[in-house]
Amino acid sequence: MTFLRLALPLVMLPMLLALGALPARAQPTIKIGFFAPLTGFAAADGASTKHSAEIAVEELNAAGGIKGKKVELVVYDDRHDSKEAVAIANKLIEKDQVVGVVSGSYSMPSRVTAPIFAKAGLPMVVSYAVHPDVTKAGPCVFRNGYLGQVEGSAAAESAVKLQKARKIAVLTVDNDFGRVTGAAFIERAKKLGAEIHSDQVYKLGEKEFGPYLTKLQGQGIDLIFHTSYYNEGAQIVRKAKELGITAKQEATEGIDSAIFLQLAGAAAEGVTFTTNLNRDDPRPEVQSFLKKYQAKTGSPADMVGASAYDAVKILARGIEQAGTDAKGICATLTNLRDYPAITGKISRFVKGEVTKPVQIQIIRDGKVRSFAIIDNPEVITPPVQ
Amino acid sequence: MTATLVQQLINGLTVGSLYALMALGLTMVYGVLRVLHIAHAAVFTLGGYGGLAVYQATGSFWLALAGAMLAAVAAGLAMERWVYWPLLGKPPIATLIASIGLFIGLEELYRIVAGPEPYAFAVPLRLPEIRRGPLLVTPPQLLVMALTAGLLIALWLMLTRTALGLALRAASQDQEMAAACGMRVRGVVMANFAIGSALAGAAGMLVGIYYNSVSPTMGDVAGYKGLAIIVLGGLGSIPGTVLGALVIGLVETLVIGFVEFPLPRDAWAFLAMIAVFLARPQGLLGVK
Repeated sequence: MTFLRLALPLVMLPMLLALGALPARAQPTIKIGFFAPLTGFAAADGASTKHSAEIAVEELNAAGGIKGKKVELVVYDDRHDSKEAVAIANKLIEKDQVVGVVSGSYSMPSRVTAPIFAKAGLPMVVSYAVHPDVTKAGPCVFRNGYLGQVEGSAAAESAVKLQKARKIAVLTVDNDFGRVTGAAFIERAKKLGAEIHSDQVYKLGEKEFGPYLTKLQGQGIDLIFHTSYYNEGAQIVRKAKELGITAKQEATEGIDSAIFLQLAGAAAEGVTFTTNLNRDDPRPEVQSFLKKYQAKTGSPADMVGASAYDAVKILARGIEQAGTDAKGICATLTNLRDYPAITGKISRFVKGEVTKPVQIQIIRDGKVRSFAIIDNPEVITPPVQ
Repeated sequence: MTATLVQQLINGLTVGSLYALMALGLTMVYGVLRVLHIAHAAVFTLGGYGGLAVYQATGSFWLALAGAMLAAVAAGLAMERWVYWPLLGKPPIATLIASIGLFIGLEELYRIVAGPEPYAFAVPLRLPEIRRGPLLVTPPQLLVMALTAGLLIALWLMLTRTALGLALRAASQDQEMAAACGMRVRGVVMANFAIGSALAGAAGMLVGIYYNSVSPTMGDVAGYKGLAIIVLGGLGSIPGTVLGALVIGLVETLVIGFVEFPLPRDAWAFLAMIAVFLARPQGLLGVK
């Protein structure tokens, strides 16, 4: 059974490729370009974004398409490889002649392709990639996820104001995301009056956290904040439990994945994390997406998927109002106000950066639940000049 | 301070034990064939997947361990039969390249068959937690250290008390002489591969359980750090490899624990390797 589930993407990949190679249909469609890491180490996230983007397109088409035309998602696998991503960008522009592009990928492929789309004048919506440079490529690049600064500050609000942590230890993964988010957390937490016990940096892919966590034993630490992805995050929470560390733990959207819950097991109980998908959001569009995702994939939806769904829908909103004219789409999205994204209501984009509340979720009984919502404007307004 | 030091020593010994199990096969193969067996890391990963598959099917830790070791032995023997033995007369670079290719190819194969995402390998451990004053040994740490100690003692008894052990040692010291004395060298080489691979298979499963995670790339660290460890210990020296593994595990852990040092932990194994090359090329316990 497990192997069947694993084999499925393998069977589907050639089908997808074949689909991309089909000649343009007689009936004109509106083409939206999409790329994500469907193979390689980030394949789990890539698959989630692809399924979710497809759900968005199915919904658009079920409602009659955009202005009577069907929407077609042109999907490519960037393998989290910048050379591959550049080739895909050129293909989407020249061969597929898409109206706009959605990145379901990480920072690196998003960052190298954004200037190419900007030069071609194509609108681009980035689902969740965090690198600050992505949106600097041009005036028509929009990001649906938070900047690291916003996420770190929001995590500090949750840790100090809501969870009443006075003494905090920080574990930072050594990459752009980890460093920026960790620094913002420390700055905000200090401002709110908490003491930072330590800031330990570990390399991406670290498995053995015994030495880092042993240093924190018996230090009267209230809370450990770690910027981590699901692999490292799971090792941190497991090791802390094994060593009998009872400090609360807060993490980031990096652990927002069903794989984190599998790897961390019971040790994940009570861990809070910043993200943009609130599973307990009562709005029907959110609950409907969560159900559709579960039905389509057999596993619960996550942050990257929901973000990709939103990115497709945001671009579609632009096309609905402005047609296929790129400048018109850009203007529509720049002037977008109070858009009801499933990852939180977007009040507006500031220089391409999203403004929306940050969700704090908590793991209870092996399920992701709502803990709090951070909407302090001082924290969630994107720090762009 | 004492409590932290004791705890960090336990952390370091646990990691060192895992390194020792991973690296022993490498040093044994080098001992008889003078080949750097990079693909040993793929055998290690197979132990993780094999153990997990058997555990899921049977729910028995011991059957899973047997499955992991058997799968690893089969893979090790197949490599010996179809890759290393045919290339034996060729320049050493040929076997090295073949070995690297084999490693990359197998990693990709695991990814295609099992998928890129890690699997959880959750085994409920019916082991006690040892707490004596400042000393704390957690059940997973106890499992790793006890099983490693058991396997090392078995290996030591085999090498020193059995005819096969004598043959293995003879073959690694002087193969031509051993052959001249009427030993079937090929059989000894195969036994060597089998034993080294079995240890790697056990290590793969232990690492899978210890970190609750089995993934196609889990052999990466085992692969490159293993090489540094066997150089440190003395190429081909079994006690040297165990010593080298424990030293690296302890140094990595203590540096993270007590020094603010900007280099990542994996740097230590290679710094040690370079230092050994410069100052004592035969390694800690190797002979010239």
